[in-house]
Amino acid sequence: MSVFLYGVALQWKLDIRSKSLLVTCYIVPFIFFLLMGGIFTSVMPEMRNTLIQSMIVMSVSMGSFVGLPPSLIETYGSDIKKVYKANGVPVYLGLVTMFLSAFVHLMITCGVIVLLAPVLFQAALPAQLPVFFFVLAIYIIVSLSIGSILGLIIKNQAKLTMIAQLIFLPSIMLSGIMFPADLLPDFLEMTGRVFPAAWGYRLMLNNGFCLENLWYLILVFFAAVIICGILLKKQK
Amino acid sequence: MNSAIQVRGLKKSYGSHIVLNGLNLRIEKGEIFALLGVNGAGKTTSLECIEGLRKYDSGTVIVNGKMGIQLQSSSLPAYIKPMEAVKLFAKWNREKIDYTMLNALGIKEIEKKQYTQLSTGQKRRLHLALALISDPDIIFLDEPTAGLDVEGRLSLHEQIRKLRSSGKTIVLASHDMAEVETLCDRIAILNHGNIIFCGTASELTDKVGKKYFIHIKTQQGDSTFETDNIEDTLISLLGELKQKGNHVLDIKVDRGTLELHFMEMARREAE
Repeated sequence: MSVFLYGVALQWKLDIRSKSLLVTCYIVPFIFFLLMGGIFTSVMPEMRNTLIQSMIVMSVSMGSFVGLPPSLIETYGSDIKKVYKANGVPVYLGLVTMFLSAFVHLMITCGVIVLLAPVLFQAALPAQLPVFFFVLAIYIIVSLSIGSILGLIIKNQAKLTMIAQLIFLPSIMLSGIMFPADLLPDFLEMTGRVFPAAWGYRLMLNNGFCLENLWYLILVFFAAVIICGILLKKQK
Repeated sequence: MNSAIQVRGLKKSYGSHIVLNGLNLRIEKGEIFALLGVNGAGKTTSLECIEGLRKYDSGTVIVNGKMGIQLQSSSLPAYIKPMEAVKLFAKWNREKIDYTMLNALGIKEIEKKQYTQLSTGQKRRLHLALALISDPDIIFLDEPTAGLDVEGRLSLHEQIRKLRSSGKTIVLASHDMAEVETLCDRIAILNHGNIIFCGTASELTDKVGKKYFIHIKTQQGDSTFETDNIEDTLISLLGELKQKGNHVLDIKVDRGTLELHFMEMARREAE
């Protein structure tokens, strides 16, 4: 267990040193939070009720789809993956440590948003914080599982930048965090529901924790685990 | 059971491209064994199949002992520090860190740098240290001195010789003839997935033929002559130079480098 924990802690440190994860998990989400938090709450004061959830969806989407995959490509798209085999360590260990490390980074970011939003923008805190953090954990795990597929399936950073945007932008634009999803045309509203962000957002809202909002995320997670398993098995 | 590694009928293809075409090898315990070949000859694939890093199509590989694998440069995360990698590998292998070995390889001096900040030589030394963490019986080195300057190369050769003297078996892949000639007990030459020679450096020379090279330096410049009879050629060359009034400044006679022998064998194989 100590070997595993050392691996996760080391990965966490490496993520901090890697500027890309620092930018995608902390700097950009916080700048977005400070900027958009101010704009949203002054233009539409009622957004104070959903500001925390909105900013979290943006941060988690960015960290998962733009932040995690480059680290995975660095390992699984190169000779680094041989390190695991050469030491008799399962090849999935890299994915698991990077996944957990990114999970901790995103939890920290979300925790800071929850702490600062009421102070800076008079945002409403979730009614039940333990339940909120529980569903937040579920949402982060599901988002990271999709980021894991991206990191394992795409072999170069340039392609990743393009493909990650195809998931990141609709997640932000169509999930309902910028404006209510029911104002969107039916086609776009339906498209938005393909992305976990829409489900995660509804799940995190007060009284949103129910099976109706949960089943899709569970389905996506298990599908992602199977796909990641297949992709790891294919690693040469 | 003196053999450290036995390979029989090893075959590996990538699609329709045959890389290894029934490789047979026997590497004895305690020797430095080199797999030699031009780029694309199948050296790295052979090593990786033996190491268990790559699946092969058919054949048998028997390895008698614990393996330590020196991976090529760029096989560590960019921002990892040497001692972090050492600790991680030691934990994976459930081994204590051998600080004497780390000091001998100069890892202490580079412990504060990140992997991307290391020079090629420092990366090679780090990868060697990581390969030695599990105190292996057999050490695999893939192009161990590629990209190193003369000093780095000599220092690494010294380390490899020390390892051999402590009873380790060393298997290295290289395309550097001079390195193999000075370092290895036996050599296997790979060409198009087959071993076209396996033996000592002097056996290789015997097989190809006893060619000698006479290098003569005069005031007019340097000249090299190829011969299979030193005495007759030397007498005739010196007579000719004296007749022309050329003063001889230096004379050297050698048996040629492995590179020449390798090229000769590859040429014969192609014929």
